[in-house]
Amino acid sequence: MNQTLPISNIQLAFSVFLVLITGMIASFLRLGLLKSLVWGTIRTFVQLTLVGYALTYIFQWNNLWLVIGVTMFMSWVAARTAVKRTPNVPKYPALLAFLALLASTYLVGSIVSILIIAPIPWYAPRIVIPIFGMLLGNSMTGIALSLDRLYSEARARAPEIEALLTFGATPWEAIQDSLREALRAGMTPTINSLMVVGIVSLPGMMTGQILGGADPRLAVRYQIVVMLMITAAVAIGCLLLVGFSYKKLFTEDGALKPFLLQSRN
Amino acid sequence: MFQFNLTYAPGGKEVIQAAADVVEGEVLVVSAPSGTGKTTLLRILARLQPALSGQVFLYGEDWLGIPASHWRALVHYLAQKPALFEGSVADNLAKPFAIRVLSEKPFLANKAKALMAELRLPSHLWEQDARTLSGGEAARLALVRALLIEPALMLLDEPTAALDERSRQAFYAVLQSWIRQPGHAALLVSHAEDYQLNNLKILNLRSLP
Repeated sequence: MNQTLPISNIQLAFSVFLVLITGMIASFLRLGLLKSLVWGTIRTFVQLTLVGYALTYIFQWNNLWLVIGVTMFMSWVAARTAVKRTPNVPKYPALLAFLALLASTYLVGSIVSILIIAPIPWYAPRIVIPIFGMLLGNSMTGIALSLDRLYSEARARAPEIEALLTFGATPWEAIQDSLREALRAGMTPTINSLMVVGIVSLPGMMTGQILGGADPRLAVRYQIVVMLMITAAVAIGCLLLVGFSYKKLFTEDGALKPFLLQSRN
Repeated sequence: MFQFNLTYAPGGKEVIQAAADVVEGEVLVVSAPSGTGKTTLLRILARLQPALSGQVFLYGEDWLGIPASHWRALVHYLAQKPALFEGSVADNLAKPFAIRVLSEKPFLANKAKALMAELRLPSHLWEQDARTLSGGEAARLALVRALLIEPALMLLDEPTAALDERSRQAFYAVLQSWIRQPGHAALLVSHAEDYQLNNLKILNLRSLP
């Protein structure tokens, strides 16, 4: 049962045939995607091959500091990507997103690794790095959605926020409704995925384990842990980032910043 | 009661100087052509935006010594287009009292209803969704909401622009009786010259060379 069917180099080369199909569709219909497709295919091959070698190396080394270094690097890249995906937010420091991601994924990742999966050693890179990958991939999307929504809500509700300020509300009191909407926006996709998992979608990790020869019942147990840990990490990450960010909407004197009172340009 | 001497640049270029000494029971009418920063002046006094330089005193106390949230509840700015919150008219009137600065003051529903009646707002509006009010109704509701939080100074930006003649009279009557109470005064920006208020003083804004 527990064996993976190998894919040889020749078999792997056959998968390029699939790219040709996509390429033909793209060129016949003049979708203007051919260049991106070719470049994307090359990058997929190169990036994943390199990651394969890197992971082999990291797994053999089995060193706590190396695991910390790799997960920090992953968090930094995720933070950079997240702040770029926020069209409503002017220049946002990636450092804050990094701190939010780091705190949420380290907390949840440690709980999962130490208490739930409990490999030996507890920081076993074979377990910890894929877990961080999944946590970061989802948290990155979540915090980007939250951050973007916070700014767009603040802009849309600027008259209400100012009205609350004129009654003596602090920035924290005046921004409450926008904060709630921002958190909801960040957490909703993850919570929705809890509803349909296994019915509409078969998650990539579970599929991978089953293809890799694992018992589906065990793969399902892993998937349950993964889904719940992702939900927790997204919730914590969004909460932290929104908490770090709301003050940036206000001046030092606690008034709304002028750019939120103007239309977007 | 309220003194200020400020410079500011409403359009980013021309620098305006504004100075006045407002005493209790007085209405200071800010007079200047359109686009010369009358709204900006009121927003600065409410600490919603910064001035270039200057000083403001309320009861002899420098505004820098008072936290912004306390200041804004005392020197209350009534926007030209008042923002109404989600919910009923009653929700809108009660909402400010959830703020910590005002938490010691009770929400007086009967006082609110009496003010609404004086402003010719029918009592059936109480339960109505505030977002369905007309512009004139919203302007009067905003005055009721402002009076309930009992500021010392009211900064009114074209408050009667959306009102018909009878509503305007009612508006000024309510405002006048509030100003007559001890410890109150107002700044008013208005294009219409029929203020129907006593004890007026005119502030002319002048631009600095």
